[in-house]
Amino acid sequence: MKNPDAIVIGAGIVGASSALSLTNAGLKVLVIDRGAVSSGTTGAGEGNILVSDKDPGPELALALHSRNLWFEMQDDVGDSFELEAKGGVVVARRDDGPLMKLASEQSQHGVMIEKCNQSRLHELEPYLHPDISSGVFYPQDAQCQPMLAAAHVIRTVVQRGGEFISQAKVTRINVENGAVTGIETTRGTFNAPIIVNATGTWAGELAELAGSHLPIAPRKGFILVTEPTKKYIFHKVYDSDYVANVASSDADLQTSTVVEGTRSGTILIGASRERVGFDGAMNYEILRTLAAQATSLFPVLRDVQLLRAYRGFRPYAPDHLPVIGQDAKVKGLWHSAGHEGAGIGLAPGSAALITDAILGRDSFMDAAAFSPARFGRVKS
Amino acid sequence: MIIVIGAGPAGLAAAEAASRNGSEVALFDSASRMGGQYWRHRAAVSGYRSNRADEIFAKVSSAQSITHISEANIWSAEREGGLIRVNYLQGGIESSLTAEKVIIATGAYDRTLPFPGWDTPGSMTPGAAQSLLKGQGVLAGKRIIIAGTGPFLLPVATGLAEAGADIVALIDANSPLRWSLSPLALLTNIAKFSELMYYARLIRKYRIRPQFRRAVTAYEDGVATISAINSRFHIKPGKSQTMRADVVAVGWGFVPDLSLGGILGCAQRVDSDGTVIFEVDENQMSSQPHIWIAGEATGIGGADLSLVEGEIAGLAASGQTIEKALLRKRVRKQRFADALKRTYPVRDGWREWITSDTTICRCEEVKSQEIKDSVSDLGAEDSRTSKLFTRAGMGLCQGRMCSRNVSEIVSGITQCAVTDGERIAASNRPIAAPISLGQLSDGKNSR
Amino acid sequence: MTHTITFTFNGNAIQCEEGQSIAAALINSNQRELRRTRFGDEPRSIFCGIGICFDCVVLINGVANQRSCLVEAHDGMIVESAQ
Ligand SMILES: Cc1cc2nc3c(=O)[nH]c(=O)nc-3n(C[C@H](O)[C@H](O)[C@H](O)COP(=O)(O)OP(=O)(O)OC[C@H]3O[C@@H](n4cnc5c(N)ncnc54)[C@H](O)[C@@H]3O)c2cc1C
Ligand SMILES: Cc1cc2nc3c(=O)[nH]c(=O)nc-3n(C[C@H](O)[C@H](O)[C@H](O)COP(=O)(O)OP(=O)(O)OC[C@H]3O[C@@H](n4cnc5c(N)ncnc54)[C@H](O)[C@@H]3O)c2cc1C
Ligand code: FES
Repeated sequence: MKNPDAIVIGAGIVGASSALSLTNAGLKVLVIDRGAVSSGTTGAGEGNILVSDKDPGPELALALHSRNLWFEMQDDVGDSFELEAKGGVVVARRDDGPLMKLASEQSQHGVMIEKCNQSRLHELEPYLHPDISSGVFYPQDAQCQPMLAAAHVIRTVVQRGGEFISQAKVTRINVENGAVTGIETTRGTFNAPIIVNATGTWAGELAELAGSHLPIAPRKGFILVTEPTKKYIFHKVYDSDYVANVASSDADLQTSTVVEGTRSGTILIGASRERVGFDGAMNYEILRTLAAQATSLFPVLRDVQLLRAYRGFRPYAPDHLPVIGQDAKVKGLWHSAGHEGAGIGLAPGSAALITDAILGRDSFMDAAAFSPARFGRVKS
Repeated sequence: MIIVIGAGPAGLAAAEAASRNGSEVALFDSASRMGGQYWRHRAAVSGYRSNRADEIFAKVSSAQSITHISEANIWSAEREGGLIRVNYLQGGIESSLTAEKVIIATGAYDRTLPFPGWDTPGSMTPGAAQSLLKGQGVLAGKRIIIAGTGPFLLPVATGLAEAGADIVALIDANSPLRWSLSPLALLTNIAKFSELMYYARLIRKYRIRPQFRRAVTAYEDGVATISAINSRFHIKPGKSQTMRADVVAVGWGFVPDLSLGGILGCAQRVDSDGTVIFEVDENQMSSQPHIWIAGEATGIGGADLSLVEGEIAGLAASGQTIEKALLRKRVRKQRFADALKRTYPVRDGWREWITSDTTICRCEEVKSQEIKDSVSDLGAEDSRTSKLFTRAGMGLCQGRMCSRNVSEIVSGITQCAVTDGERIAASNRPIAAPISLGQLSDGKNSR
Repeated sequence: MTHTITFTFNGNAIQCEEGQSIAAALINSNQRELRRTRFGDEPRSIFCGIGICFDCVVLINGVANQRSCLVEAHDGMIVESAQ
């Protein structure tokens, strides 16, 4: 493509959604990835589009809007990525006070909630452990198949005049007079005045290539995949401890179970969180912990076979908020990265924010909390 | 203590060799009987030089320092301090055993290629027909076609004929004249001639007529299509015939099972025929300290080579000296194994045998057209991305049957050769055998 | 002398020798189809014969996806082809 208006680096769900919204805004977009579409963390994600796990604040506002944009994106691209508003069930095992308090607060910020007693809970999830007696149902929680979504979105971008070049690793970001001019890749040089860094866990390296800085680090997560079973699990079910974990910055391992069935009949059990850099080793103790937590929620899973376990690296920033906006130092370099364990859910909302910011339009919310400048201007 | 994983020819030889200086050996196998895929027979072993098997069974069974832990399926392994722990399932309960040293001899399974109808009952691997007969005393069918490529088709065909099956065709996609490419390997392995003569006699006796440069390219409603193919495996037009058969047993060599060594981080490489195998040094030691690997997992070479490799690994792991003669023997057998690869290649013309609705992933029932669409419509560029889009390889067998074929199909469309990285990634699995979530969580409580 | 045992497959009594795998016993009783697939409802039988391909999976005493080529038949087992 000659003279694209914008280059998006990264063909994960965040890059794909950004490319689509920029294309729909009338820009000629070139998408670049060092691998194939969905070859990064998006290919390891579970596909949860959650509002239930967010505390009131900017991330919840983004999540709520993004969740609706997922359904708009489906209308735009076609029903091709298994999007389903199946709803989430969060249970409290011991003291249900904190969960109920959170749910009440969330409901004041636009989250639909239904507090459930024992019988309602077991009507929603008949195989749940009989002792679990309190929980909250979140009908807005949804699910998609993220790899398919990114692929279909990229395909739509290409159909609308954009271009996707795979197997092109960005090796340099050219900056002149404090503004980007283009990129160099293993498959050639491409110029554009607007560059969107949507490289997820690797976004810090990309910022470095432009002489800037972003504190994004990997947080490892494991997911268990079972054999296909008959339908035992009807929603996304998780323990309320999970919410506490998501917001934690303790480097040690944390696990709390999220259990869900998929259309293909397999059950996914996630997700552990640890910050150990890019250490890909399998940790069987974590698998045992996840299995123990899942079977204590659903005893029926005891006889279900584990087929596979995989891991991925979530991109996270020190304050656990995504980074969305123009680089603090380099003009024309826009970041949309660091979505940690929520990048699938937050992708279309983030795409809307970055597109509005690039075009100088008003947006659905104030994105100041996500600004790359919040880390301060480091190294000049 | 030395843990030997796998009681096939390689594992048996390793255990026996290690026990010579009194080393404690725990010999694991998921089956109840020793012998691995080739020698796991119900009664007396029959076939070419079957006394070899009896000899080693006797030695292993009588060795005081070898404990045979049977029906134990090892699902994972971990390092623990300086030691290695294997986690296994036996009788539905998870246990583990820790040792200083491990010898991996987990063998291989039949390589298969898709063709229309390969997923219907009656189509199976030669290994399946063989194990039904020898392991179970059951004939897979009455009218049987044996096809594919390689010398392993011979014992399967003659064994089934001996048991009363009608071998209506024995078909190799390659011509035996290709042996002329490897004169040195033949000259240094003269004994192989007598093995060949042994099978040739049986083939005559049971009036089996071998055919070459042909392949079973479809199997529908009990009728197999047999096509003449050229050296690239493309079908020669107008030269197909059909034949009724209640079993078609088609195999294309073997694929080693790399799961456990992969979990322990043992380095792998791609062999000249595209098979992913472990890297080992002169003493069969892997890239990881205290882990040796022998048998098919270090390159497909048959039972003879497996025996020698196992013996070397057992001696090395137990700290005994390895005679030069034994190392030379391996060189000779290795030369023969290389000649096998040269004589019986699998060429990519098979990709033309499949039609748009041919099943590629048997578990998730993914058809060839879906794989093609994942590349041309969605931008998949390797088996991993194709899998994410189509589910090919995500089912119960975890791609053991299809992932290599998916790679080849994708590469046929993108016109980019399959990379070694892709082959290695697709050959590794973090769970070596299925374990239930209950068993997995009980393991946590017991620790 | 081998001992004969009986198990049921989809409700029908199957006799076999002790020590035989379920798949072998069924094939020996001319019961080739072991199950039907979950999406296409296609018949499947044994394929690899050694526990790798999972084509031969059946429900054994209520537990799903058991490889019938590996599991030995026992007296009174209830085997069903699920899905
Ligand atoms: C186990 C696990 C479970 C998860 N579950 C969920 C979930 O249920 N819901 C949810 O919302 N989120 C979930 N997440 C988080 C989610 O997967 C991520 O936040 C999201 O995928 C990030 O998307 P991305 O597009 O930013 O990054 P990626 O998908 O990683 O895309 C970045 C792309 O940039 C490319 N790239 C990197 N460097 C370069 C370079 N130099 N040149 C060119 N290209 C480059 C990479 O190849 C990659 O394709 C989970 C994560 C993990 C690990
Ligand atoms: C079904 C079949 C039939 C064959 N028949 C013949 C034949 O008739 N003639 C011939 O020349 N060649 C035959 N071969 C080829 C022959 O198998 C090999 O040449 C030879 O057996 C290789 O020996 P090995 O010791 O490397 O592996 P194998 O003999 O394959 O032994 C490996 C052993 O490891 C065990 N194992 C693997 N993983 C685990 C685990 N995770 N936990 C516990 N145990 C494990 C397996 O159960 C197996 O017993 C056959 C191959 C197959 C697959
Ligand atoms: S036939 Fe392949 S697993 Fe049983």
